[in-house]
Amino acid sequence: MSDMLKQVSDEMAQMVESAGQSVVRIEARRRLPASGVVWSADGLIVTSHHIVERDDNIQIGLANGQNVTATLVGRDPNTDIAVLRAKDAALTVPNWAGADDLRVGHLVLALGRPGQYIQATLGVVSALGSDITEESGIEDVLIMRNMPFDAPPMAPGGFPFPPMARRSLERAQERAKRATEQSRERAERRARRWAERSGSWGGRFEQFVQTDVAMYPGFSGGPLVDAGGQIRGINSSAIMRGVSLTVPTPVVRRVVEALLSHGRVRQGFLGIGAQPARLTSALAEQFKQETGLLLVSVEVGSPADKSGLMVGDVLLALDGVMVRTLDELLALLSGNRVGAEVPVLVLRGGQAQEVLVTVGERK
Amino acid sequence: MTTLLQQLNAQMSNVIEQGWRSLVRVGNGEGAGAGTIWHPDGLIVTNAHVAAQRTRRGWRRPVASDELKVTLADGRDFMAQVIAFDEQNDLAALAIETRDLPTIALGNSWDVRTGQWVMALGHPWGVHGAATSGIVIGKGTNLPEMPAGRDWIALSLHLRPGHSGGPLLDTNGQLIGINTMITGPDVGFAIPVDTVKSFLRQALGTRGAI
Repeated sequence: MSDMLKQVSDEMAQMVESAGQSVVRIEARRRLPASGVVWSADGLIVTSHHIVERDDNIQIGLANGQNVTATLVGRDPNTDIAVLRAKDAALTVPNWAGADDLRVGHLVLALGRPGQYIQATLGVVSALGSDITEESGIEDVLIMRNMPFDAPPMAPGGFPFPPMARRSLERAQERAKRATEQSRERAERRARRWAERSGSWGGRFEQFVQTDVAMYPGFSGGPLVDAGGQIRGINSSAIMRGVSLTVPTPVVRRVVEALLSHGRVRQGFLGIGAQPARLTSALAEQFKQETGLLLVSVEVGSPADKSGLMVGDVLLALDGVMVRTLDELLALLSGNRVGAEVPVLVLRGGQAQEVLVTVGERK
Repeated sequence: MTTLLQQLNAQMSNVIEQGWRSLVRVGNGEGAGAGTIWHPDGLIVTNAHVAAQRTRRGWRRPVASDELKVTLADGRDFMAQVIAFDEQNDLAALAIETRDLPTIALGNSWDVRTGQWVMALGHPWGVHGAATSGIVIGKGTNLPEMPAGRDWIALSLHLRPGHSGGPLLDTNGQLIGINTMITGPDVGFAIPVDTVKSFLRQALGTRGAI
């Protein structure tokens, strides 16, 4: 048994040592230096946007103790990612991996190099998701995702119910049942109000990995490392106070590519407020989808308004791709559709029709 | 080749995925905490402070059933009725009108050992179904920073507001406690599962049946 524990500890120390070769110190703010990770051998380094307080005179400290200067390539406050370019440095590129096979409960390490030496903290992946806002009313609109619920319920945990307890439970259930019915009606009304208030749903962070690793000072911009020593993303403690969030590698990759080609990250904009709405069974059959997006508001002068989309329309598809949820729509409104004229399939008065919309850019 | 660390990871995520199904959200009209399904016929255990509202004089009272909402892991919600409430032990039992809920196998508090690996589930800061993991610092009635006379499991893991009422699991996936409070960012406390058993035994009259 103790051999196993030693082996696990040694494996972790090995991970820190190998992944740590690609973790650099970044001096770009007045306070304590923070961390960054080598992206490519030609000098690109990714870090957190919030720790880069100046655009020039950025110093990078490499694993071998060497110091080099870097310039800012660009930054994206939305995902809290900044990209730097180091000059004349021999960099070790780590193994960047997506978050696809990461599961809640996996052990992960956060690395940082605020000083000369590598530092590490251990934690587990707490949650994976694609829906987070900084609003405090978050609980009302989120449902748990990817919940495995198909397995049969386990046998009662050794807790037989005596008749007396059974009766008090049943009486309580009867009262709870009436309250449930009333509450569902209220919830429907509330969902509608929420959708109206949220307008064009700004301030979202589309994909995230949440961990319970302790983010020590200077760990921002450092990597999240999995058990195989691969880098799963960039840690940022600034996005949501009190929990450690990691921007997954695919998002980092998209941001780096956008910053290299446009100098900023573009996002499509329609100017609508919408909520998922269930289709009637006939329509569901016809369009092979159960829900569409009911437009509950259309911003005056927005791309949606100009194209003639109206409150009450139900969005079924955009650019030929089925749209059932807000997430699916958001994913379609990526930067490469900005300025493009795309067909939008809507239900209006029970009839499907196609409307051409020129996707705007979210400012 | 899979390393030991990777095997460990696969086991831990299995435990959490299993435990997840019995984790609920308990909304009390003011905020929300977590809860743990105890019996398939709609019996849920949570903390008294999750199922309570503050009155004007600062005392807590159980939340009425038209404000107490339980959301299951599959997204269904139910209004709940408080059927037992023990402010002293910070425990409450709730009933919801449904059946065939997934439960977690119950462990025993006396099997809990200092240094053992444990996992806690809850909704920290409103992030749904999030896990944290760490080790047992110690257990007993005489722990620093805690009122004496009550049993606690002290934990070195990251409990946050929203974890209260959620399950504490051992590496076999058995329920060993209910996450209840924190005294610092890295120190949490859980009510041992045996305290929950005796609370239910007293409150629901299940004499010695457990």
